[in-house]
Amino acid sequence: MTSFGTARAGSPAALGRRRFLAALGAGAAGLAAAGCARGSSTAAVPGTASISTDNGTWDEGYRKAGRALKPLTGYGLRPLSNPSATSYKQVTQMTLQTSRASDMLKWASGYELKSLARGGELSDLSRLWDRYEKKGWARPSQRASLSYRGKVYGIPLYESYYVVFYNKRVFARLELRPPATWDELLHCATVLKRNRITPFVATQNGSWPAYEWFQELVSKIDPDFYSALVGGRARYTDGVARQALDIWQGFIRKGWMTPPDFDQNNGAAALKGGRTGMFLHGTWQAQSLTGAGMRPGRDYDAFILPTVGKSTRKSVITESGVLAVPRSATTREAGMANVGAWLAPPVQRAWTDFLQDGSANPVVRPGNPVVAQLKETIARERVTRLIRYGEASPPNLVQGNTQDLAGFMTEQSSADATLRSMEARAADEWATWKRDEA
Amino acid sequence: MSASATRPAAGTRPAGTTDPVSPKDPTPAGRPPSPRRRARRGLPLRERLTSGAFLAPAVLLVGALLLAPFAATLWRSLFNDHRASGFAQLDNYRLFFTNEALVRSVENTLMWVAGTVLLPFVLGLAIACMTDATRWSRFARLCVVTPYALSGAAVAVVWNFVLTSDGALNQLLKTVGLDSLAHGWLLEWPSSTVVMILANAWQATGVAVILFLVGLQGIPPETLEAASLDGASPWQRFRHVVLPQLRPVSIIVIGMSLANGLKSFDLIWVLTQGGPGRATETLAVSMYQETFLLQHPGAGAAIAVVLTVIVLAASWLYLRRQLDAKGE
Repeated sequence: MTSFGTARAGSPAALGRRRFLAALGAGAAGLAAAGCARGSSTAAVPGTASISTDNGTWDEGYRKAGRALKPLTGYGLRPLSNPSATSYKQVTQMTLQTSRASDMLKWASGYELKSLARGGELSDLSRLWDRYEKKGWARPSQRASLSYRGKVYGIPLYESYYVVFYNKRVFARLELRPPATWDELLHCATVLKRNRITPFVATQNGSWPAYEWFQELVSKIDPDFYSALVGGRARYTDGVARQALDIWQGFIRKGWMTPPDFDQNNGAAALKGGRTGMFLHGTWQAQSLTGAGMRPGRDYDAFILPTVGKSTRKSVITESGVLAVPRSATTREAGMANVGAWLAPPVQRAWTDFLQDGSANPVVRPGNPVVAQLKETIARERVTRLIRYGEASPPNLVQGNTQDLAGFMTEQSSADATLRSMEARAADEWATWKRDEA
Repeated sequence: MSASATRPAAGTRPAGTTDPVSPKDPTPAGRPPSPRRRARRGLPLRERLTSGAFLAPAVLLVGALLLAPFAATLWRSLFNDHRASGFAQLDNYRLFFTNEALVRSVENTLMWVAGTVLLPFVLGLAIACMTDATRWSRFARLCVVTPYALSGAAVAVVWNFVLTSDGALNQLLKTVGLDSLAHGWLLEWPSSTVVMILANAWQATGVAVILFLVGLQGIPPETLEAASLDGASPWQRFRHVVLPQLRPVSIIVIGMSLANGLKSFDLIWVLTQGGPGRATETLAVSMYQETFLLQHPGAGAAIAVVLTVIVLAASWLYLRRQLDAKGE
């Protein structure tokens, strides 16, 4: 056996070793070069615009919408999805720094969009928005949640409402009707609980759902206070927020809510199986309910949570994802063209039929009859649309306060301690946001 | 000229170069340089370049992938998290005294370290001793070792089915009439941290068993026979014969468990994401939470630095003490 130190240059063993080392070095260099190479997923593909998304189950919907876009713009859609919403945010923010960003990207409205836009990496879409407004394809009141310093940076992807889904057959069996007042809601919950059905789905599993009931209860007590609170003009320690948490705690202690680690992905099955009675969630949940074999309008329906006080103005929490175009998009003209035609009725019909949700274009009727009925009710009764909590305040504030609410849901912290912590964070984060803006 | 013509072959050091200067026996002042140092100074340039070339890949890799990022992280931790980041001295480190979530995170990390050192060590040793040289030992070992082959995330998914409020454990308790014991295992601190440590022990015990079995098989049977002949009871044989001879393996098991406990992340992230309300975070989870979710890279960097220092200090102190005691 030739020892390492005694092999002489020129001997077969030394040559073999040198060749091996050279091959190893070349291989490592090749791998390093490949690692440093640009990714090909966002490379230009003729006739399509790439779109980064955080939900792989919507890929088919984007392709369908892309087929409707192609005759209008010449570009279809090529979805690039990242299944984790958390890593999607990080990857997207990093990709925007490169010269190979996707042509379009899905993002959230409100302060999430403002945070991204203030980095200067998004395209100004104000011209496209003005055109939509002139055609009546966009609601002017939505502009503020899509803008940063007066310029529009996002076009609404959809419009969802936070409503309460219920199993019509279970309600019929128990002789219940969708509640129109707070007392009727309490009656429904009492009857359901008596029949061993958990009245409400509520969870902190997945983090963000922790604020669903908070935003709902605060806005149903006083919608103006909700607007002021999320806008940094009211305090979390004020009476309305405290009242909301007291109601919530009462529901939890009566056993009216699912355990805080309930998996919302099982919500549709639980509603269908009659294990839960009412499911507060975005209207995009209709797709899961239909997918679980429930027929809209026959097996399930939805109502807007009644206001706590009889004279309180009606309101509904709305959520709207947005489409944005990175300045460094590989084929920016494709992205701009598709975003410029996104709200066109043929595109929206294809998209909302897939999504089973509401369109951001007021003239397009949703394909799902339950969602269509809700949209008509909201328009007819002039229900005030409020922006969802997740997008209504600076992201760091929302993130921290959502964690506080999760602690409250598991009764790890009292209502007072929770609200004090939220208020302290609100003071810090609003000050930081304003200082950064200045 | 071949390299070997001027250099002794590796592993065959010439006389006089075998004894490196021991720190316990420093070179007296005025003593001429050691032969080794003299030999190194006398090396021709080509030899030194060759040595450097062999060292370079390791030095470059460690420098580029470990030391440079650490230096950058240390530097970042001294800046605040405002949009126009400014020098903040040690403000980010003060969070360890003022931020309740970080204080809880330190508590949890200590619990994890205690749990991940004690449980795999005790269970691994017990299982290895009980299954060594028994008829069903192979099957028993397979059962214990299999979880070690699973990834942390997969283990977490399995335990999620067990520990959620509607999970297998609560259903079992309700079935046998122990409804009062059923509760949200992952929702209430400190039981949430404790059950996750147990889940981690379920996985980590496998490797401890393997290592202890290797150690047990290396114990000369004549030492045990001699002890028996001297009238030692089974416990005395274990305590005074087996255990001392398992010392090298124990050092490795405890050292690995220590590092694993300090860097635990995947299981926690999949099971609770550090929640509810940041109650189950460890320092590794807090580092991720602050840096990527709360967009506080300065605070995240400070946590990373503190965690690194703790891991290095704990590992160094432990290994130094143990290896010195062995005289190695």
